[in-house]
Amino acid sequence: MCAAASSPPAANPDRKSNAGATPDPWEACARLEYGGDRSPAWSVREELLATPPEGWPAAETRLLKSLARADATAAGRAFLCQMLALVGSAQSVPALAALLKDVDAVESARYALEAIPGAEASAALREGIAAVSGSAKAGMIGSIAIRGDTSARYLLAGIKGNPSEPAIVREAAGRALEHLATAKA
Amino acid sequence: MPTASTVTRRRFLQQSGVATAVAAAPLILPSGLRGAGAPSRKITVGIVGAGNISDSHFGPLLGDPENVRILAVCDVDRERRDDAAARVNRTYGNQDCKAYGDFRELNRRSDIDTVFVCTPDHWHALVAIDAMRNGKDVYVEKPLTLTIQEGRALVATARKYHRVAQHGTQHRSMKRFHDVAEFVRNQGLGRLDRIECFIPPNNRHVGATWKPEPVPAGLDWDMWLGPAPWRPYTSLGCHYNFRFISDSAYGQVTNWGAHYLDIGQWALDMDASGPVEVEGRGEFPSSGLFTNATKVDFTVRYANGVPMFCRTRFEGGGTVRFVGERGWLDIARNRMSASHNDLLREMQAPGKKIQLPLSNNHHENFFACVRSRQRPIADVELGHRTTTVCNLGQIAMVLGRKLRWDPAKEEFVGDAMANRLRGRAMRSPWALI
Repeated sequence: MCAAASSPPAANPDRKSNAGATPDPWEACARLEYGGDRSPAWSVREELLATPPEGWPAAETRLLKSLARADATAAGRAFLCQMLALVGSAQSVPALAALLKDVDAVESARYALEAIPGAEASAALREGIAAVSGSAKAGMIGSIAIRGDTSARYLLAGIKGNPSEPAIVREAAGRALEHLATAKA
Repeated sequence: MPTASTVTRRRFLQQSGVATAVAAAPLILPSGLRGAGAPSRKITVGIVGAGNISDSHFGPLLGDPENVRILAVCDVDRERRDDAAARVNRTYGNQDCKAYGDFRELNRRSDIDTVFVCTPDHWHALVAIDAMRNGKDVYVEKPLTLTIQEGRALVATARKYHRVAQHGTQHRSMKRFHDVAEFVRNQGLGRLDRIECFIPPNNRHVGATWKPEPVPAGLDWDMWLGPAPWRPYTSLGCHYNFRFISDSAYGQVTNWGAHYLDIGQWALDMDASGPVEVEGRGEFPSSGLFTNATKVDFTVRYANGVPMFCRTRFEGGGTVRFVGERGWLDIARNRMSASHNDLLREMQAPGKKIQLPLSNNHHENFFACVRSRQRPIADVELGHRTTTVCNLGQIAMVLGRKLRWDPAKEEFVGDAMANRLRGRAMRSPWALI
């Protein structure tokens, strides 16, 4: 049953009961390995999910600091970008835009950018298109369309009509234009 | 309306397309493309996803050769698709059924009328949308989609292309569930106090450690992942167990919850709407491969004040119980009970003021609507609304706080993080466009 409307959300004692202890999960989560211990990520995620919006900028700063670590792994970057998709803002855009040029990080970066509101993220995706090709380019076109970025129409029309682009990219541009035609301006 | 057993197959198709669907929904424009509406024409089928869920379709479809013909199967696992195609060809005594590794090839065949989407959940929306764009009617297994965003896109596509889209919540075509929903709708229990849904447990291998493994020969792992975030292959997280990993599904919340919550939605007349509040307290594993709740517990509340909860029941299986001022009715797929027998007798009495559309067979209802171009018993919109309830519960359990939901705008009120959880980016080259 739902609690009465006026009562505060009840704490759930089970949520953190089996979380593994790590010295600094915010650093450790950047070094996640697939199939390895993910308890640092669990700790960070739980803290983030409970963070009210006024605390997001500080959380975002900590995520970006971890993302910038030289020893960040693919799994770690993917996790951090998934968290940035939840709390990220324009503050994250420069770092994520840089990762769009990294073939090993472009998917994770786009995952975050698609969810981050604001013109800065839209601009990063539009500009990022020049750095990618093939499948990654089709995905980026999709993100632009999902965001309803109607200012990308001219860009997409050029891609759709460019015979040097592979079919997968031209078709994605065509679908994006169709999507944007019905999107709210 | 007569039961399916009292009419011939052809008469059922002729009648049910009208009697079943007219009461529920407006007419869809005829396709006029391939003459699927012609009574003498067999409806052709392609099945995407040849795992355990598709097993529940092969039997009935192959058992109806007079009306249905399976022309193609698709799976990213070569062994599964070849086995499925061989089963079809063995039954028909020919070699006409083709096996595909890419659903897009199947969807582009002009001789296929309908596509059954039986893939892991993270693929449902993309496969169904592509099929409808290519002129197919679709039967989409539950849950309709993985996310709320995907569900709305799927509904929009069905309407844009005037396709028949049936959600695989076949309880809608079981008389016992129909009767209970209708009885509740007619105030048979008096004032409704609450709805209790119980689902089986998740993640029997809680805390399982895992290591990346070589991809087995014949499995296209990149295509299996599709729009889901990349991860290396492990046999623990592929067939069937994918449902315990939130990149692909939400476990029993969407597996069984989609069935029982759906009947609650039906009984509450919420097929085009939904609850206004949700609160959840799930228990999640902090390590290992599986990420979905090991213990589910969430409650949605509707604008009329009625709550519906969904909880894990570790023994006894799934059920939905309606509790009102006159007693309770408890119903599962294979049993029904009541607080007192009078309720069961009253439930069967004819002449109820509100009569819900009746279907006795989910497949037959779908094919009847393919011919008549009317909306099926579990039309895509109500499938989306039920799947949304599952999503609301999942999001509330993840966030661990009470959320307000606007079912008209399909957005959370005053919770930006919850709203970001309504959808997610897809891995290249896939996109929800």
